[in-house]
Amino acid sequence: MTAVTGETPLQGNGLLGQPLDSREDPQLLRGEATYVGDIDLAGTAHMAILGSPIAHAKILSIDTKAAEQLPGVLKVATAADFTDVMPLPCIWIPGGVESHFPPHPYGLPGSRPVLSGDTVRHVGDPIAVVVAETPRQAAAALAAISVEYEPLTVVTRADEALAEGAPQLHEAVPGNLNAYWTCGDKDRTDAAIAAAEVTVELDLVNQRTINSPIEPRGAVGDYNAATGEYTLYASTQGPHNHRFLLSALVLGIPFNKLRVVAPTVGGSFGTKGYLYPDMPLVLLLSKVLGRPVKWVDTRTGLMNSTVQGRDHRQHVTLAGTRDGRITAVRCTSYANLGAYPSTIGPGVATALMGRSISGMYDIDAAFCEVYAAFTNTVPLGAQRGSGRAEAAFLMERLVDRYASEIGMDPAAVRRKNLVPKEKFPYDNGLGWTYDSGDYQLNFDRAIELSGYADMPARKTEARARGKRLGVGIASYVAICGVGPSTRMSKEGMLGGTWESANIRVHPTGEVTVTVGSASTGQSHGTVFAQVAADELGIDPSQVQVYEGDTLKAPYGQGTYGSRSYSMAAPAIALTARKIKSKLVKAGAVFLGVPEDKVVYADGKVFVEGHEDDTENTKTFAELAMAMWYGWGLPPEIEPALDETTHFDPPDFNYPFGTHVAVVEIDELTGETEVVAYTAVDDAGHIGNPKIVLGQIEGSIVHGLGQALMEHAEYDPDGRLVSRDLGHYALPRAIDAPFFTLDKTTTPTPHNPLGAKGAGEIATVPPAAAVVNAVVDALSDLGVRHIDMPVTPEKVWRRLRGESQ
Amino acid sequence: MDLSLNVNGRPEQFAAQPNELLVERLRDGLGLTGTKVGCDTGQCGTCVVRLDGRSVKSCLILTAAAAGSAVTTIEGVTTPGGELTGLQEALRQEHGTQCGFCTPGMVMALGELVENTSDREAPTEPEIREWLTGNLCRCTGYHSVVRGVQRACSAAREDAPAQPATAAASGQEG
Repeated sequence: MTAVTGETPLQGNGLLGQPLDSREDPQLLRGEATYVGDIDLAGTAHMAILGSPIAHAKILSIDTKAAEQLPGVLKVATAADFTDVMPLPCIWIPGGVESHFPPHPYGLPGSRPVLSGDTVRHVGDPIAVVVAETPRQAAAALAAISVEYEPLTVVTRADEALAEGAPQLHEAVPGNLNAYWTCGDKDRTDAAIAAAEVTVELDLVNQRTINSPIEPRGAVGDYNAATGEYTLYASTQGPHNHRFLLSALVLGIPFNKLRVVAPTVGGSFGTKGYLYPDMPLVLLLSKVLGRPVKWVDTRTGLMNSTVQGRDHRQHVTLAGTRDGRITAVRCTSYANLGAYPSTIGPGVATALMGRSISGMYDIDAAFCEVYAAFTNTVPLGAQRGSGRAEAAFLMERLVDRYASEIGMDPAAVRRKNLVPKEKFPYDNGLGWTYDSGDYQLNFDRAIELSGYADMPARKTEARARGKRLGVGIASYVAICGVGPSTRMSKEGMLGGTWESANIRVHPTGEVTVTVGSASTGQSHGTVFAQVAADELGIDPSQVQVYEGDTLKAPYGQGTYGSRSYSMAAPAIALTARKIKSKLVKAGAVFLGVPEDKVVYADGKVFVEGHEDDTENTKTFAELAMAMWYGWGLPPEIEPALDETTHFDPPDFNYPFGTHVAVVEIDELTGETEVVAYTAVDDAGHIGNPKIVLGQIEGSIVHGLGQALMEHAEYDPDGRLVSRDLGHYALPRAIDAPFFTLDKTTTPTPHNPLGAKGAGEIATVPPAAAVVNAVVDALSDLGVRHIDMPVTPEKVWRRLRGESQ
Repeated sequence: MDLSLNVNGRPEQFAAQPNELLVERLRDGLGLTGTKVGCDTGQCGTCVVRLDGRSVKSCLILTAAAAGSAVTTIEGVTTPGGELTGLQEALRQEHGTQCGFCTPGMVMALGELVENTSDREAPTEPEIREWLTGNLCRCTGYHSVVRGVQRACSAAREDAPAQPATAAASGQEG
């Protein structure tokens, strides 16, 4: 038991850290949750979107007459129908750079039209919409729309888009360069590299991948003509953000006339926080038709319209001494933003990636430059581990390359360069200040657990079976807890990134918690109840959590970047402390003693020293009822218990970890199998280890997917070859080995729970760990690098001495 | 064309277009939205239902081809808000779900595996993973699902009556 007296906020009752079962699970297991595709409002009409079949063209004409005549068709609309609608804005252009994109009417840097009217810039670029009585009728009518195109030359790679003579995507963006962004100290880094005893270089492709939540996106728009209010039901991870962007910046309607509701959302991994044309379209068309309008994407539509991830081409250099001390790291990256700047894509491709490149290492000089370019591909956005995974990949590949060059064990090189414990808070020279960490402890734990010392013997044993065994290590630091609003403004993010929570104690002693965050499968209802119950000293079953509806929930930014438990949960804890503080004041009145004699603990207030004495005690339920009546309260204590906190932390938090992959490569087929995987992650204090375990496991498999099979591949004409799940390989159950998992715990000082981000952090290192392991397995053949995805064909060719 | 199906024990008669998919009939025609649609190509497995006891992808079957059959959807597995099956309970204990969109399809596919466990050796981990290859999950990485199935299979075997004749007499199987 920990007690709290007066204003002093202390900890809770020990519920946090317990692996409570997810209260969301039974409903999900019974198939009773309502996703956007399951919403069936009376009178709903159905929308389908015509996406461009070619990657780059001028639109000469669009003829919709035939489509309008088809059975069930209610409306066919093109860009000409939406001339008074503002473009969709981009709200994260990295700070300190000049953006060349034509400004949004409100002065925002970067935008795209709701529908493309004169030019299409990627396959899937929306041109027209049909609304019909049934989904099938709407889809059928798309085929009857004739569009005349004048094809233009296509470019799909960032480096090629920046080359002289490349096709131009936007008139106002000469050379297709959206942003040139840098961080770190160029002169110092160049000098360190020039003076180094050893330098190693790599050319890396961090291939484009598709997040592929199993639920495609969807949206239902419902306009109420009587009140002038719009309601949007959407598969969104940030309903408040979507409300702000849509009302103020796109539709130009009063903020208080738009309600956004996130029903149960079927996964996101970054993609469902973005603003897409379908969202304003269903609202506008609902107003035009006077009926709810519903749109649910297909898988192929998702592949061609929902933001994609990663996609950097990099030249990276590491300098060091002959005895394994890293002295500098430098990265030049060509980032492919796709055809338009997505809501926050440019920030993901620059700041989130560049400021993380030195990873867990104490390096004297570091520099990163990013050329962020437009191409004829789907707009770029976040993807589970976004930016941080790209950074870890380049650094961890470089460390292995360096270890090989100086003939030192890769684990020993890493150990020698870890940021020492006493150096925290640690300024990494690239713009981040790491909050806390014990990297040595974490690293040693992972190495020990993986059985690293036994690998030579295992390699020999594997060879006897026709397999090449390789081992790869990858360590990482992941920036999480976005975040400090002022800090984000310096990064060029247009918007506050704080999070809020409200706690209302009902007269019967039950508690409702509402938060601005919004789950996409993270069991917020379970964990947030746990946080409130822990602080208040009550049973979690007394606490109900609501989120995802802008009408009911306090403002907040949503779930992204593994922020909910280190942003929304602290807001809940701080609000609970306000409640407790108020109950101590009120308790003094009810118990007739001075406030400094009143203690709140275990869900009751009592006179100090009289915890078990009912005369001198008020239980939580008694207090709730007394506060509801408000009898006898002095004027300075308001009746009722209803408190809100807006939490804006002083800085980000920085989880970290070390993963070790062991692979076996079949000499005959070139197939790579991950035969063992060890992960030791540090996310500070964890609220519910059962739920975090699932997120860690899923994240690792996602990372293995990028290493081994996932690739959003475009043909030279800009068509997405991997356009469905038959052509885009997601890891299946047989692709996932069981893992050896452990954790270290270094709390962050930046929030009252000591919680760091957890949800996606384990996606950051697996790609590097696996590729390091594959290169290790093939190193005696002279292989120094192999591009992802590491397909059997690529390995098979290398086994036969062919170059990449 | 006029067709009939037995869905979750209830006879259903309706007029259907020849090209109607079974998943459309279930979701749009009968309002059984527990069955999900996640892809266009039969890959993801969110639409798995049981057709005469066997798990099938309802997006790959025309309603007409299923005519006269018995279809069980996730809504037929439990009553609303009711007690979970052994498999569902095991998945709950192992938190074998996150966003839950793939979950109904998994419960339907895995149900067939678990039900057949009581009278034979419990499936090995590779067998469970092999059985799961038709169901894609992006959240969990499958581990908690596999653990859930192992737990459910153990329970199914423990619960299996020692003498099959007794089981048949009690009517508890299936």
